Amino acid sequence: MRQLVSWSASACAGFVRACAVVVVSMLVPAVWAAAAVLWIWWWDGDPWSGIVPFLWACIGTLALSRPVCRMVRSLVAKWTGTVIPGGYRQPGPVTQMATGYWWNGYSYERTSRDARMDQQWRTRWRDPATWRDLRFTAIAPITMGVICAIPPAGVVAAVLGFGHPGFPAVLAGALGAVVAIAGAPYAWRSIEPVAVRFLRASPAMALQDRVAELTAQRADATVAQAAEIRRIERDLHDGAQARLVALGLSLATAEKLMETDLDQARALLRDARAGAATSLTELRDLVRGISPPVLNERGLVDAVRALALDSPLEAAVSADVQLRLDPPIEAALYFGVAELLTNAVKHAHASRARISIARDGTGIVVDVEDDGRGGADVRPGGGLDGLRRRLAVFDGTVEVTSPAGGPTRVRMMLPCESL
Amino acid sequence: MRIVVAEDLYLLRDGMVRLLEAYGHQVVATATTGPETLDALRTWRPDVSVVDVRMPPTQSDEGLQAALAARRELPGLPVLILSQHVEQLYARELLADGAGGVGYFLKDSVFDADQFIDALERVAGGGTAMDPAVITKLLSSGSSSRRLEQLTEREHAVLGLMAEGLSNQAIGQRLFLSESAISKYTTSMFGKLGISDDESSNRRVLAVLTYLNKTLNKT
Repeated sequence: MRQLVSWSASACAGFVRACAVVVVSMLVPAVWAAAAVLWIWWWDGDPWSGIVPFLWACIGTLALSRPVCRMVRSLVAKWTGTVIPGGYRQPGPVTQMATGYWWNGYSYERTSRDARMDQQWRTRWRDPATWRDLRFTAIAPITMGVICAIPPAGVVAAVLGFGHPGFPAVLAGALGAVVAIAGAPYAWRSIEPVAVRFLRASPAMALQDRVAELTAQRADATVAQAAEIRRIERDLHDGAQARLVALGLSLATAEKLMETDLDQARALLRDARAGAATSLTELRDLVRGISPPVLNERGLVDAVRALALDSPLEAAVSADVQLRLDPPIEAALYFGVAELLTNAVKHAHASRARISIARDGTGIVVDVEDDGRGGADVRPGGGLDGLRRRLAVFDGTVEVTSPAGGPTRVRMMLPCESL
Repeated sequence: MRIVVAEDLYLLRDGMVRLLEAYGHQVVATATTGPETLDALRTWRPDVSVVDVRMPPTQSDEGLQAALAARRELPGLPVLILSQHVEQLYARELLADGAGGVGYFLKDSVFDADQFIDALERVAGGGTAMDPAVITKLLSSGSSSRRLEQLTEREHAVLGLMAEGLSNQAIGQRLFLSESAISKYTTSMFGKLGISDDESSNRRVLAVLTYLNKTLNKT
């Protein structure tokens, strides 16, 4: 009994779903059908009179294709849980130039509204997703549209058949009822394979996405590199260079004073020596930030050991082997560990840390674990986000596990063929 | 003293030789690469040598490796390492054999020529001389900083200078205190930390550094 109830419930739900699929997939054919009806209506012997309904149907198809596909996607997601990404291109930013005109990436427009409209049209026209949607609106009616039309068609046949007297009509009605009831729970399921097959991003679109990702990464890397070079230039300009100028001045003055005031000359020489020592300290810190000497001299494992020794934490380092990697990869991992140790001290208030450097089948894995209070997350623009982006350049990844209350465990993974 | 100078940059090597000769020492050989350094140390067995860490051909820590290799063959061969940067890691490797006659300094330390020559003579005499930067790092890292919290500020300063390799007399001069006041501080300090006080300043330095290293408890 219970089985019967649940089966009939699923049959009813399935019937409704099948009807919904038919409505959605038949929207565009309905537009064409209306155009054909109009053409016949206006028929005066000249086939050119059909041009107006034909254009209307074209415009209607273009306007409807994207909403239809959106509806199909949302129905599939709602009924089956399968998410099919749209993959539509997003329009770029519209900016006002110094001339007062608006630039949308393609052309200048007088107002921002015009610029946006123009951009929308161009983006849509060039978007491969638009052509995929059009193809789908043609395919959908003859696949899932036809299948899902079976249960409603069965019902219609049953109603018509039982409404007419005579054995053949009743037989047709009975057949229709059987088909409708048997097909109702299953017909709507055809939407999923059809949508997955024809609505997902094509290889060309996937390739385009990868290109966009790489372009963004390259831009990131270029910007970061330029910022780094500017920082170095500024540090040298305001620090060592200025101090060397001051040093030269002191020495020149001291040279002059040697003849008249020996005591003051001596004091100046002492100052000069102190200035030289300070500029050396500054240069040393600068060099450490660009490329830590111990990393060049000893490689990653010993450099991380040195880092652990200098850290205020009790940090233990375990590494299975002395491995030498490519210098950029070593630097990325070294600065990653440095950042994580700093975080452990500054944010997590940890007192111990464990660092392990190991390799697995595909690359190198660096784990940093502390006993702090946890709660670390990857915020855009934050330190961990910066770390993720630095490693992303090498197709590396960062995994952060940091429940509130700790401990924090961060795993950096880099694919590496040189191992 | 007979000294070997190993430094690849001409200006620094020349300046170092002139400085040493100005203080009346004799530079018997100079070396510009790692292998040359090892050769010079083996052949001349100098009273003390001044060795740069980074040298050709690989521009990695060739100088340090040459010095360590030479000391493995001739234990206690006095070596003073000079570098543009100091690392606890290197300091630990230098001190590991416990033979003394080791110094490790930043290149800036030559700015104070008197103190530099003083440290060099200490190393030549089998003592230890560490750059204050190394000692500051040692005292502030890991659990050692927590264990040292029980020391007074003055005791902390004395410990630091002692770890640099200075004698009680020299520490007294630096801190403007009498030698007997310093020995009072060292006794109470060693009592607190549980280190046995040794009259020989070198062994004392080693004891202090070993203590600091042990508290780090790092691999």
